[in-house]
Amino acid sequence: MTLDSEVLSLRQVPMFRDIDPSRLKLLAFTSERIHFAKGQRFFSQGDAADAAYVILDGCAEVVLDNPGGPVKVAELGRNDLVGEMGILSDSPRSATVIATEPSSALRIDKRVFLELLSQFPQMSIAVMRELANRLERTNAQLLSRSPRPV
Amino acid sequence: MDKSLFRYIWRHSKRDQLIIFMVVIASLPFYYMSLDLPRKIVNEAIQGRAFEQGRQTAKFLDISISLPAWLGGHRFDFFEGFEVGRLHLLFGLSFLFLFFVLVNGAFKYWINVAKGALGERMMRRMRFELFSLALRFTPETLRTVKSSEAATIIKDEVEPIGGFIGDAFVQPVFLGTQAATALLFILMQSVWLGLIAAAVVGVQLVVIPRMRRELLRLGRMRQIASRRLAGRISEVIDGMEAVHVHQTARWERAEIGHRLYELFDIRFRIYKRKFIVKFLNNLLAQLTPFFFYAFGGYFALQGRLDIGQLVAVIAAYRELPPPLKELIDWDQQRLDVQVKYDQVVAYFAAEKLLAEHAEEEAEAQDMELVGPLEVRHLTILDAHGSALIAGADLDLRLPARIGVAAETGNAASVFARLIARRPVEFSGEVRIAGHDLTEIPASVVGRRIAYAGVEPILFPGSIRDNILYGLRQRPMTSAEQSELDRRLQEAKRTGNPLDTPEADWIDLSRSGAASREELDDRIVELLGRIGLRDDLYRFGLGGTINPERHPELAERLVEARERLHRRLEEEGLSELVEFFDPDRYNQHATVAENLLFGVPTSQSLTGRALAGDIHFREALDRAELTQDLVAMGARIAETMVDIFKGLPLGHPLFDQFSFVHADELGEFEKILKRLGMSGRGGATREDRERLLALTLPYVEPRHRLGLLDEAMMERLLAGRAQVREILFRHGRNDVRFYEPDSLNPAATVRDNLLFGRVNDRIADARERVRLIGAEIIEEMSLRAGIERVGLDHQVGPAGRLLTSPQRAAVNLLRCVVKRPDILVVDGALAAFGESRADAVLDMLTDETAGRTLLVVLSNERRADMFDVLVRFSAGGGAEVRRREAAGSVPRDEAASAAAE
Repeated sequence: MTLDSEVLSLRQVPMFRDIDPSRLKLLAFTSERIHFAKGQRFFSQGDAADAAYVILDGCAEVVLDNPGGPVKVAELGRNDLVGEMGILSDSPRSATVIATEPSSALRIDKRVFLELLSQFPQMSIAVMRELANRLERTNAQLLSRSPRPV
Repeated sequence: MDKSLFRYIWRHSKRDQLIIFMVVIASLPFYYMSLDLPRKIVNEAIQGRAFEQGRQTAKFLDISISLPAWLGGHRFDFFEGFEVGRLHLLFGLSFLFLFFVLVNGAFKYWINVAKGALGERMMRRMRFELFSLALRFTPETLRTVKSSEAATIIKDEVEPIGGFIGDAFVQPVFLGTQAATALLFILMQSVWLGLIAAAVVGVQLVVIPRMRRELLRLGRMRQIASRRLAGRISEVIDGMEAVHVHQTARWERAEIGHRLYELFDIRFRIYKRKFIVKFLNNLLAQLTPFFFYAFGGYFALQGRLDIGQLVAVIAAYRELPPPLKELIDWDQQRLDVQVKYDQVVAYFAAEKLLAEHAEEEAEAQDMELVGPLEVRHLTILDAHGSALIAGADLDLRLPARIGVAAETGNAASVFARLIARRPVEFSGEVRIAGHDLTEIPASVVGRRIAYAGVEPILFPGSIRDNILYGLRQRPMTSAEQSELDRRLQEAKRTGNPLDTPEADWIDLSRSGAASREELDDRIVELLGRIGLRDDLYRFGLGGTINPERHPELAERLVEARERLHRRLEEEGLSELVEFFDPDRYNQHATVAENLLFGVPTSQSLTGRALAGDIHFREALDRAELTQDLVAMGARIAETMVDIFKGLPLGHPLFDQFSFVHADELGEFEKILKRLGMSGRGGATREDRERLLALTLPYVEPRHRLGLLDEAMMERLLAGRAQVREILFRHGRNDVRFYEPDSLNPAATVRDNLLFGRVNDRIADARERVRLIGAEIIEEMSLRAGIERVGLDHQVGPAGRLLTSPQRAAVNLLRCVVKRPDILVVDGALAAFGESRADAVLDMLTDETAGRTLLVVLSNERRADMFDVLVRFSAGGGAEVRRREAAGSVPRDEAASAAAE
């Protein structure tokens, strides 16, 4: 798999959808391609957030360490972006991500990612839009779950 | 050094000068002969004057001297000569001419070599003397002396003086006689014309030097200005950090620009002056023939001078200007050099120097600095004249562990410096073991006292070199006699030292270790106690091993390599590392590493330079790889231009990721454009080389541009064989090839152990491999060996490659390993931070057991570990607390008790 195919994967990520191909290429080029064996951790809850990952192949699960034992909260598959919240909010990892089968991912270094955001407003706007969308979704979910407006 | 350059030269080289002078005189007859012979060949052999009156033979090689008429005109025949025919005479004379030409050449060669050697020897002497003087600079001078200025003086400014020395005496004598002869000849032909010529020469000799005086003044200014420029440049380079932090590059540029203008201005004035003088000089030289033609012609017309004489005079005059001109040039050079010499001597003036102490004499003396330390009425003033220590009295018994503290100011530090015999102005009396401190010979101070100050002083070299520096006071062995003979002779002739750095200088006896190995172990242990063992281990992993010097370690490392490979296989982790295999392309290594399959030891095979190495390129051509690699480079350049184009120049991402530097992006764009064209305006040889260079650091799994497929890797592998063969054929020894079962002396310990490249595509690969490697090193007890290799780690200029605690540790251990009677630690612990400083202090107390340790304390937190605490009060008085009192008694009581 080469840079070009990784760029295609990145395009599938909602956050990067509207970004210029040459910028995506830069993002891909400055990222590392890493292979995880089954059961290997991308990162663990409480680690310092140093990178985001785009899963190129395989799948992984997001696990929360609860006092009662690990709880699986989400499943990730191809072209999913994970760990980006941590590097944007500069807080430790809020969950553990484990590969559930042999997977490969693009590791986007935090420093590089922030550097690119500060350099290309287009990318910042894309990220903001994505975050705003998520917030809206979350609000909607909250609204639908709560019995009546507070 | 002598005030006058000529006295200095004469004092040190009169023998050589006289020899050269005599040889010059001896060469003159031969020179005269070679001038005279052509006349003889033409007259006697070719025109046949020797065969007039029908003679068939003429004399050849007859040697006789005819005295001039005023001495009686007697003729002495020494050798009758041979009677030869005309043709024989011609050839005989011609060969004789050739012989004299050769003899002259030989003379000239000998004289030039002798003059050169003389100059070089004097230069060596001067440089050495100046350096010796620099070692004696007083502390006050050192505060104002710029190191680079001193370096410029010793290196550059002495150079022209050396060039001049060979000519200093010989030239004026030689040229002077020549000129005087010509003048005498003219005078003999016609007194009047002679007087005219003499007058013009007189004007030349008087006026020109006068005009050149201004030139000298300017020359002096130029010398000082350019010396300051050198000093300023090195200041800026040394202080580059501050320049960058405050972004003052513009100001620095302006400042240097201004200096350059001043320098230019001076130089320009020198030029104008110089050419005016030259013009005048030429004019005067041309004026004389005018007089000759006008007045000489007048005399001739009047019949007071015959035409033949006039022609002879003019001919003789033609001989006059060249030596005269050279003489004037010599004089100019002399003044020039004298100015330089004066400047140099002034820089090293006596008042800036410490008194000289006779080394050999002091060598014999030695004394133990153990016994009472008595201080009487000690008063030390600070720079503003107020008392740091006022009339203090102390009585201590050495050895002791002494803590020194001060309520205010740096009295404690100044006292520590005083005890360490650093230059401190004081009044009163300090005696150690009955000896007046100021009268202890410097060599004893060097051996018996050590001082570790705040600023670590490191010299370029390894950590070991720096730590052992204090043991290098005198050579312990003398080097091989035979090899040294010539060098010793030269040293004697130039007043240089007879010691050589090749001798073993490390004084093991003082370190207490039985061998260098044991000493190494001790240093490693001490560094460990300072908490630098891990650093040392890391340095060791990054260091190289010479298998000839450490055959055992080399062998064991190869063993460890095999064990690591086995272990990785056993644990099913072999995909973490791709090992170097002579018969396989290593995907995780760069293209260059794969082609070279070894470690370069010269710049020409390292980095981008490899693409320009002719032998490497020859191998690529042979393997028919050049074209493909250039095409590959073009694809890389294209991608780089594509993805990095929008980034501003100097963006950090460039340096981190790009194959090209930010400011090269435009150039590569142009190269790509040219590559698309053919013929004129197409890609040049240099363009291809630059593209080729781009492919060298390429690693497919890391960069993922899809440029290397299986077929290309196979071809690169074939190229590897070609590279090796062709480099070998050309006798290149600047690459050490990887061999699976032996140690590569040019590769780091880490690379030798791993013998491959980590597969970065696997998560955490590097960390996992590191852990397994550390495990094996532990199992095979290789750690100590690797730590010893770490001692070879280079500290860089002024130790800049080390961190500040590392520097401080090296500085401190230098004092510890020589086991001084008195170890003074003044601020050297500051770099360690509080918790580590405690460990260092413990180490110091253990290491100085039975000897004196004097530590300047910034606070009294650890005062209880000293036998004695000396405290200087704000008023400058000293109080002493012994351990019995110091430990438990509250401070106030202790102080009052001591004050009683």
